[in-house]
Amino acid sequence: MSKLGVFDLAVRYGKLTAISDLSLSVAEGERVFISGPNGAGKSSLLSAIAGAVRAAHGRIEMDGEILSGLGVEGIARRGLSMVPEGRRIFAGLTVQENLMVGAGMRRDRSAIGDDLETVFAAFPILRERARSSAGALSGGQQQMLAIGRAIMTNPKVMLVDEPSLGLAPKVVDEVYDRLCQLQELRGLTLVIVEQSSARAARVGGRMLLMRAGRIVGDGDAADFAARDLLTEAYFGGAA
Amino acid sequence: MSLQLLFDALALGGIYAIAALGIALIFGVMRLVNFAHGQFIACAVFALIVPSTDALAVLGLGRLPAPVLIPLILALGAGLAVAAEALVFRLMRNASPVALMVGSFALGVALQNLLLVVYGGRPKAVSLWAELSHPVQIASAEVPLLQLIVIVTVAMILAALAIMLRHTRLGLEMRAAAEDFTMARMLGVRANRVISGAFALSGAMAAVVALVLVAQTGVADVRMGGQIMLVAFIATVVGGMGSLSGAVAAGLAIGAASAFLQAGLPADARPFRDAFLYGGVILVLLIRPQGLFAPVGAKPRV
Repeated sequence: MSKLGVFDLAVRYGKLTAISDLSLSVAEGERVFISGPNGAGKSSLLSAIAGAVRAAHGRIEMDGEILSGLGVEGIARRGLSMVPEGRRIFAGLTVQENLMVGAGMRRDRSAIGDDLETVFAAFPILRERARSSAGALSGGQQQMLAIGRAIMTNPKVMLVDEPSLGLAPKVVDEVYDRLCQLQELRGLTLVIVEQSSARAARVGGRMLLMRAGRIVGDGDAADFAARDLLTEAYFGGAA
Repeated sequence: MSLQLLFDALALGGIYAIAALGIALIFGVMRLVNFAHGQFIACAVFALIVPSTDALAVLGLGRLPAPVLIPLILALGAGLAVAAEALVFRLMRNASPVALMVGSFALGVALQNLLLVVYGGRPKAVSLWAELSHPVQIASAEVPLLQLIVIVTVAMILAALAIMLRHTRLGLEMRAAAEDFTMARMLGVRANRVISGAFALSGAMAAVVALVLVAQTGVADVRMGGQIMLVAFIATVVGGMGSLSGAVAAGLAIGAASAFLQAGLPADARPFRDAFLYGGVILVLLIRPQGLFAPVGAKPRV
């Protein structure tokens, strides 16, 4: 049984179709990159899985349970966490408060403490800045905070939308290093939107190529990177 | 400046601050300007007296000793607000802010007419805690005991709210939801819990204002919430919509300005005090249209 399953999903915004007849299956512990040009529907797919946008039809399952109808917070409480595009940290809260919002639904106090320690170990800068306003963090630090905040919900599946957006390559390296470490440590299933197939190949994993609301390619990220020139020509150099 | 005037300013500003908080709390989490807030206040006032259209008011709940009465009226105010959310605003959860606002107007009119039917339209004399109007000598000033109590109560409420927002789970969730509601929900924060919590707090604030108004004026009037609601709304706008501390600061400032103008204007100009006051409000908004303390939540997305 797959960890995360999407069946015949369609998402529309008014008359605009963002996703049509999309199906995919992600195994437990797998790392899946979603790539494709702007407007391909990558973010819409993640938002639909997280329940933040309504599906026109189709269904989404985690561990065989249908997620539609649970509501955004219901899905989060089942163990699916989202690191959204633009990070969306709570700028008026402190770094630690941001992390604790993620832990708000949990009752296992000692495990919350352990997870906080895990996040701080992965991103020492967050420990340093724990008491300062999250709005004062740099872009890279905010990305780390957004990932840490998602970890604090103790997710089984984590969706990460363009973690490299607007960050310097060195910072992107660090973010991916930590993300992979956390995945291994927690046995996470990761779905990551990443524009650059070269980057995805370097990190390693499966890659889905989206175009115009559909999946048009599915394979190892390294194979895609090898064909990158071709895809770039095909999509107009979106990466 | 006389000490007397300072107390007047603090007491009036304090009431406005509490009323403005009632508006700002709800606006913060769901972008709703709750124009029924004034009617929440009126309902809490009329809860003190026995339902009847007679001109003479008979105290019902209002006869209870203060240590029982105050928590009871606060709970009633909170309950009314939570019920209004569950029965009216929850159905409009995905409506536009404008539709929500119109909905709150409708709810306010409905509540006001309910009060008119049950209690009649004439203002009624209500004597609540009459002994509190005795003056107390503080240095050179004679201050009504009630005024002192109001100032202390407002300070305590503000402190309690600040502690609650900083150090409780609901407080943290409310602050997060006020910045980015969907993101908070994506982290498992329950929308209904946060919104109900905000309404409960707001309703309790309305009840506090109601108790103070009755004790100060000795009148129960179906329309009494409207005036203060207007001032409170203006305070939330001047303070910066969504900023709690801004609402408090602007509420205090408007109350204080009102008291100072009342004392400082020449006698001929006093009837036009509010014109001066709102002239000042317009000036502030011309210089800072986003309000004095625009919240940080409205950050641009990458």
